[in-house]
This record gives sequence, structure tokens and C-alpha cells, in this order.
Amino acid sequence: MFNFIGRSFPRHDGFAKASGLAEFTFDVEVPGMLYGRIFKSPHAFARVGRVDASGAEALGAVVLTPDDVPDRLFNPRLISIEEDTFKDWRVLTKVPRYFGEPIAAVAAPTEDTAQRALEALRVDFEEVYDPVLDPFKAMSPSTRPIHERVMRGGRWIEVKNNIAAELRYSEGDLDSEEKRSSVVIERKFHASRRYHTQLEPKGAVCKLEPDGTLVVWTTTQTIHNTKILISQVYGIPMNRVDVRKVLLGGGFGSSIHTNLVTLIAVGLCLKSRKPVKLVLTREEDMVHDHVSFEFYMKVRAGATRDGSITFGELDNLIDVGAHQIQAYPILGTSLGWFVSLYKWRAVKYHGRSVYTNKVPSCAIRGYGAPEITWAVETVVDELAEELKIDPLEFRLANYRGRGEIFWGQGPTVKSIIRSDGVPELIAKGSEIIGWKRRESPRVKTGRFRRGVGVGRGFHTSGAGGPLSGAIIDYTGAVVKVNEDGSIDYITALQDHGGGTLDAHIKIIAEELKIPPGKVRVVWSGTSTTVYDVCTHASRGVFTGGEAARRAALEVKKKVLEYASRILDSVSPEALRIEYDRELSDAVIFVEGAPEKRITLSEVARVAWQRNWGSISASVSYRATVAPPSFTVYFVEVEVDMETGVIKPIRVVAGADIGTVISPELAAGQIHGGFAIGWSWTVGDEVSYLENGVPAHRMSLTDYKLPTSMDLPSDEDFIVLFASTYEPFGPFGAKGLGEAASNPVIAAVANAIYNATGIRFYEIPMTPEKILKAIKEGE
Amino acid sequence: MLSINAFNTYRIPQIFDYYRPRDLREALKLLESVEGAKVVAGGTDLVVDLKYRRIEVRALIDISRLDELRFIKLEDSYVEIGSAVTIQEIVESSIAREKLPLLVEAAESLGSWQIRNLATIGGNLCTASPAADTAPPLLVYDAELELVSLRGVRTVPIEKFFTGPKRVVLERGEILRSIRIPVSRNVFGWSYIKLRRTSFDVAKASVAVLLDARDGYIVDARVALGSVAPTPVRARGVERSIVGLKIEEAARVASERVVNEISPIDDARSTAWYRLQASKTLVSDAVWRAYERLLKIGV
Repeated sequence: MFNFIGRSFPRHDGFAKASGLAEFTFDVEVPGMLYGRIFKSPHAFARVGRVDASGAEALGAVVLTPDDVPDRLFNPRLISIEEDTFKDWRVLTKVPRYFGEPIAAVAAPTEDTAQRALEALRVDFEEVYDPVLDPFKAMSPSTRPIHERVMRGGRWIEVKNNIAAELRYSEGDLDSEEKRSSVVIERKFHASRRYHTQLEPKGAVCKLEPDGTLVVWTTTQTIHNTKILISQVYGIPMNRVDVRKVLLGGGFGSSIHTNLVTLIAVGLCLKSRKPVKLVLTREEDMVHDHVSFEFYMKVRAGATRDGSITFGELDNLIDVGAHQIQAYPILGTSLGWFVSLYKWRAVKYHGRSVYTNKVPSCAIRGYGAPEITWAVETVVDELAEELKIDPLEFRLANYRGRGEIFWGQGPTVKSIIRSDGVPELIAKGSEIIGWKRRESPRVKTGRFRRGVGVGRGFHTSGAGGPLSGAIIDYTGAVVKVNEDGSIDYITALQDHGGGTLDAHIKIIAEELKIPPGKVRVVWSGTSTTVYDVCTHASRGVFTGGEAARRAALEVKKKVLEYASRILDSVSPEALRIEYDRELSDAVIFVEGAPEKRITLSEVARVAWQRNWGSISASVSYRATVAPPSFTVYFVEVEVDMETGVIKPIRVVAGADIGTVISPELAAGQIHGGFAIGWSWTVGDEVSYLENGVPAHRMSLTDYKLPTSMDLPSDEDFIVLFASTYEPFGPFGAKGLGEAASNPVIAAVANAIYNATGIRFYEIPMTPEKILKAIKEGE
Repeated sequence: MLSINAFNTYRIPQIFDYYRPRDLREALKLLESVEGAKVVAGGTDLVVDLKYRRIEVRALIDISRLDELRFIKLEDSYVEIGSAVTIQEIVESSIAREKLPLLVEAAESLGSWQIRNLATIGGNLCTASPAADTAPPLLVYDAELELVSLRGVRTVPIEKFFTGPKRVVLERGEILRSIRIPVSRNVFGWSYIKLRRTSFDVAKASVAVLLDARDGYIVDARVALGSVAPTPVRARGVERSIVGLKIEEAARVASERVVNEISPIDDARSTAWYRLQASKTLVSDAVWRAYERLLKIGV
């Protein structure tokens, strides 16, 4: 059916990355540039008195203090509309609210001088407060406020009891649904903070052009929002800020906002009038401005004797750390994930985001869905067990599928589900894992016990919708045919490294019937691209890919018009276009008149030679839906009852992503999604000492991630794709990135229960906790 | 309070002199004469400490390329390993693989391949981490360490070498020259097992066992543990209590007795409680595995 979609091709940036030639922010060098270093707060909550720059300046360094940056509050993430944007950040602060918060910065001609200048800075603290680390204590009226007031859009709002944001929602008659229920289960869950551990630490390189334009290379998931934020904070017109696209070494949400390091680099560049490179070390990155949200969830849910779900209630308290990035939006999406998982007939929700003196939280792959899915999928498993109904049947009878209203990204982003591969994935996955042979944990004995669990989840493909809503979500693409028929593809959309732009290349190639190798992704910047909001919300292929397809379609129309002139057909409609493998080009011909044919390259050449003009298209595109990509994961684990050590034995990972554009890259996403989910479930957490210093001591020696050696081998990891087609996606495709990680905690937790008979309501589920629970049970 | 602004892992943010002596004698002279000098070999621990400013140095003397410290040789009654031999060289050494399979097993499990290519056996011992992977095997092998200085040479049994976390008996001016490991005529079953958070992590707890048995009864047993006390420890009480027992009984008794010989603590990797519990299982597992290996060799 397709020429290129569904087939494997070398990645467009594969050689550069594999050979080490690829350029990341760290590699950008500008002649005469200074090296920056940040003075980070050694206190989790304090008030700065004097910043004495004389020692640093004596070494020849340029020093940036809180007085040198605009006194303007902002939120580093610009995805919400202005009136839903909560602003409580400054570029440099006089009131550090977390260990590591930037207070000042230096720039000097060498890295060593910069380090010595940093150490020569004298910062006096007028007051050092006891940090507020427990979100429940934070809400007590007697606790010191972390922020007294913040801005929402353009107006000030008071912060009460350190509650950064709150959201309540209810639907249906909960009391009567509860009365009707034969079983009600109530459970409390705690999901700890986790560090993104993206490969590339955050950084930026800035320079000023002679005309005053600021050029910025930086680690970002969104070049245009970075441009807008720099413009807003420093008061520079947007056409004088050119944020250049540069390869990104992974994101996972850690650059959904403009990282503070970028704004500090800009400040140093503007003050020194020299190019500046400011790149965080790994250790600094661990306390800079990103870590996952920490969730305290209470779920109540009921079902009737015949196995239909009645009501669901979620109390969701989120520790967001010292500043807002998405403290308010995460409350809406948490609700969206909850509501859209099952057909609750009544729903009650109370969400609160609470400030603490910790590194500010932001989205991490799944944006709350992995945690909510874990809590719900645990309670659903328990309901099924209580009702003595097979957990798979129970899910099939109650999940939200085709034809249902779906609002994963929150109450302002609703759409109808049109493609749904859940039944297929449950049928195939359960067969492969051997679900029918699954035994109750009560009959298991011996030291090494195996268990099988299931987790079903989803993620949206983007945050589009039929109404404008509270989230900005549109994108754009420029496709240009060169005079020899080669294609330039110009997009602002950032590829985190998963191969999003390779999917775009295939989509353009498929539309134009030319080999993917003829399409080049142009490394461009905000000055030469149209707006794209951000690569987040698993929208890269679904939204960005559709924009690319539409631009290619416009180009195709022009090509056919010109071909019609050349071939003398009555109209372009009389022409067909096909991929010719031998010519390695698109061939345009009149059906039934084989002599009337011409290649796309020849059309381009003729259009040039005859002065017909360029063939190009610029498209701005807003998706009117955000369809769910469903994932159903079956996991088998083995628990050593004497040491509490858990091993993943087998994974059968099913994904409904509509048309699969790049099977190998998609399978890679699924492997990666499992790996990150596994690390959240059994790996390390970011906890804090009493003085507010992270217990990992800013070190990957103390904060460990599983390696490939700790994960199942390829033979024991089976990837399934559902045979679905999403009518709104490019060639039927949906998103994947986050759906790939969303059911993992749930599936692993259910498998641990099936192995041991013990339910854990706290992640990470470390061997220490597991062994303790086993010993307590004995 | 962590000196958050003082460390910079892109650089070594300290100014110090660096010496690369031509031979051991020059190294010893430098160590005597240069104020505040410290010895560096692979640097896998030291460089991290320098970057994090956990220690400050005024001079480093790099002994990693001294041929006098880079040898593995087999003598009649012992194997001698120079202190600057890398962990990967031990893994790949035919002498070590044949005569010291327990040491090889531990060496293979140390860090990642990149770390093993830099880290040296001397560094692993002199850093004196309770988690040093080569220490428990060398403890059960009854290794002897040869320490040299301009004043002469002395030999210290490894059991006397560690005096506390990050502390050893090396005196000012002394360098660990080599490790001598007696090669017994007896055949031993061996086993090195450790628990860790991930495949490339430092141990939460580790156990090395050498075992000899006849007719199903233990006739010789040597047990040492890492990461469960201020230093790597030889568990002599366990050894005494299991000699003469049948293997099933020995594994059980070893598991019971080991708690008397360790004093674990809480840290970023695990808790004292867990280490105590897990050590019981680890010791029993290691005794069993060593026994099973012995049976295979016996055949």
C-alpha cells in the first residue's frame, strides 16, 4: 500500500551521530566566546544580602547579579495560554527557594578562569530559613510561605498555605453510584521524584550579530517558545532573537520549558557584549530546574457484582517544588488521564499542587499518566480480584474505547475516539504471555517466585482539539523543491533523538512519491521557520508529521500543475504520480498515454528554466483532535523472596499507534519506554536531606539507572503493533513516545503482586522495601 | 553543606603539580620530597574526588606507567601482581584465570569495561573502600602486600592492611609495590557474589568464598565480605563454625553466624537492615556455589 511508510531506512542523522560528528549545543564554538558558570544557592531557602563581585571582576570576569537582569516574573514554559500561565520565576534570584537555584553568574575567557571567578564571588545571606520539604506540612497555616504572591497572566494572586494551584471537578451522582456498588476499594499511592537523566545536560551558546540580533543555540524541545520567552524577559523584539535548532540529546520533558541556563547565558551575553557558552555539568543539571512531579494520590473506586465500574474518585496532591512550570496544567491532565481510562459513571476530583523547597518539577515522559495509570490499574486489578472476574475481561468491559469521549490532556481538550486497538492487543498479548496459565500468588512457594501482570494505558497524540482551549498547540512546515527536484524540509519541530524527523521525511517522501534520501532536513532557526509549539505530548509524528504531509501535498499540487503544462494534459487531475524505483524519482504520467510522462526532477528543472517560479509551500497546522495511542503491556517478573531483588523476565508490549511509520524506531521507543518505566518502578528516587540537599548528592554514582544488562534481552521483549488506522493522522499514524512508558509501573506492580501476594503502593519498589514487606508478612 | 560552587566536573578545579616519574625509585624520592604529594594510578576514584573537591592536593605522582609495577608473574608458591596492573589486565591474564579464578570473578564484576581499563588493583586496595571488589578475594587468598619506601621494604598481610574506611597502614613515603597471592596445592571451589542496584554499580554487599570438601563435608572454608563493615572483612568465625559440617548444614550455619562478623550502615546504596538480611542469603548462596564448583572440578 505504501512505498516508504512502514519500511526501514537509514536515519538522516544516523551517520553523524554514530561517528561523533554530530554537533550538539556543547560542541558549538564561536570565536572569542566567554565561558559561563552559575553561582548556585547552597541553601534551600534563604535571603541574599550583598553580592560582592569585586574578586571575580579582578580576575577579568563579567559578573551577572540579580540586579543586572530584568525584574520581571515569568514562567519558563509557554504552552498554556497567557491567562493560565503562573509566573513565579526570575532569571537570578535574591530569595533562593531550592538548593541549586541560580543567584549569580560569571563569564570569563577560559573555563578555569570562570571557575576561579565563580569561587571568588562573595554572596552574603541575610537569612537562612529551615526548608519546607514535606508538602503536607507546607499546607499548614503556620508554615513560612515559599511565595507570598505570584502572577497569573498579568495579575497578581495571593498564595495561600503554599498551594500553588488547585482544581476540583465532579460529574454524575457519586453518592448513588457508590450505594449501587458491590465493591468499593480505596488506596493511597505515593510516587516519588525522579530525575530525567536525559543524555545531554542543559546548556546554551549565545552571540550578538552586528545588527544587534541575538543568536542562541540551546538544548530545547521548542525553539519558538525559547525565542518568545527571551523576548518577553529581556524586551527584545522577536525578530531580533534567532534561536537556532541544534541536535538534542534527549528530553523526556526536561526542556519542555526554556531552561534557566539559557536565560542566564543570554544575560551574560548582553552584559558582556561577547559570545558566551554556558553548559551545565551533569551534577549541576541534577539540581538546576527539572525533576519529575511527586504524587500523593488517593483513589476510591467501585464496581457492581456483574463487573461494571460505577464511580471513581481521585484526591491528587502534587509536590511541585519551589517554582511553577506546569503546577496548574498537571492538575488538569491528571484528571484527564483518570477520567479517560475507564467509563466512570460518576467522578470526583480534587487536585492540589503544593510548593516545597525542592528543585522545581516538570513533565517527565507521560506527564502524570504513568503515575495515575499505576494507581488506577492497581485499583482495577483489585476490584477484579474482589469480584472474581478475570482482570482482562474486567478491563475490556469498562475501558474507554472507540466512540467514547476522550480528554486525556484535560477538560479543555476533548475529542471522540476513532481508532482503538485495545481488544486486539489484549487478545494477542495475553496469548503470548500465557495469561491463562497465570496462577494466584497464594499457591506460589519457594525462593524465586514469578508473576505476570498487565497494565493498560494510553497517551494523547498532541494536545489539539476542536476548540481553542487553554493549551497552545499548532505547528508548521515548509517544503521546498530545488531546481533539480531535491527537497528541503524546513521545520522548527525538534527531534529529541527518537527519530521524529525521520518519520516526517518518510511522510513527505510518501506524499511526493520520491525516495526519502531526496529529502533533507534543513538546520534552521526561529527566523526561518514558522511556529511550532514544542515537541511534547507525543505530538511529533501526529501533528508535525501531518503538517509536513500537508506542505508536501501543496507542493505536489504545484508539481502536477506544471507537469500538466509540460505534458499538455487537459488539467492536473488527468495526471497520476507514482514512485519509479529504477529512476529513483516520482514519475507523473497521463493514464493510458504512456508516452506522456515526466519525472518530478524534470518538472523542477523546466519550471526553473522557463521562469515559472519556485515550487514550495508553507503550512501552519492545528490538529482538531488528540487521539489516544493505547498501550497494553504484559510483564513477567521474578522476585527473590530472600533478597527482595526483582528481575524482569519477559515483556510483551502492545501498542496501538495507528499506521506504523518506522517499525524499528517505534520498537526502540517501546524498549526505551519500558526501560524508563522500569527505572521509575524499581530504581532510585530523588529524596532530600533535612537541610534540603538532594540525597543523591548531585551524583550519578548515588542516583542509578538500570542499564541494558538489567533489562530483558531482545528475545524476551516482544513488541506488538495493533492493526489500526487513525483517520486524522498522517497516513493513519498516531503518537507513541509517552504511551510507550505509561502502563509500565502498573504492569510491573501488578506482576510483583502476582509473584508475591504483596501490593506496593509506593514507588520506587526497591529490594529494601520488598524484603521488609516480605519479612513483615512472615 | 556540599560546596556546590566549588566543584566542576568538566575540569579538575584545583591547581596542582603533576609528576610522571621514570621509575619506582624516582617515584619514592618524589613522594618523600614533594610536600602534600599523593599517588595516582588509574584515577577512577581519585579524579572524581578531585572534581568534587572532596580532597585537595598539591601534587600528584602518577605511577600508572611504571613497568616495575605492571606485571603478573607465577612463582613456585605464589602469584605476584604489580600494583599498577589494571583490573581488565587481571581479567585477561592467563595466569590469573588459571590460578586465581576467584579474583578474576570479582575483577570481571568491577564497574564497566571503561572503568576496568583504567582502575588498578593497587588503587582498588589503597583507596580502601569497604566495597573494593578485589579485597574480599584477596582476603580469602591470604594475600600479602609488599610496601616499599626509600627506607626499605615491608610485607603486610592483607588482613592487617585496612584500618578503616579510606584508611590503610601505608606510611608517608610508602607505595604499594605488589600483591603476592599464595597458590595452594589444594583445589578450592570459589565464588564471588554481590548485590548491587544495577549492573554497573558499587556493591551493596559482597561475599567471597573459597571452599574445600571431602565426602560432602567441609574441610577448609574461607569467607570474606565487602560493603558490610568499615573495611572489607574476613569472617573467621563463620569459617571456624562450618568446617566439619555437611554442605547443607554449613550453608545454614554460615548464614546464621555471619551477622556476628559484620556491622553494616545506611548509605545511598542501601540500608544497614537490608545489608544484614541480604548478607545471610549471600553467604549461603556463595557457600553453595563454591561447593558446586568444587564438585565440578573434582570430576
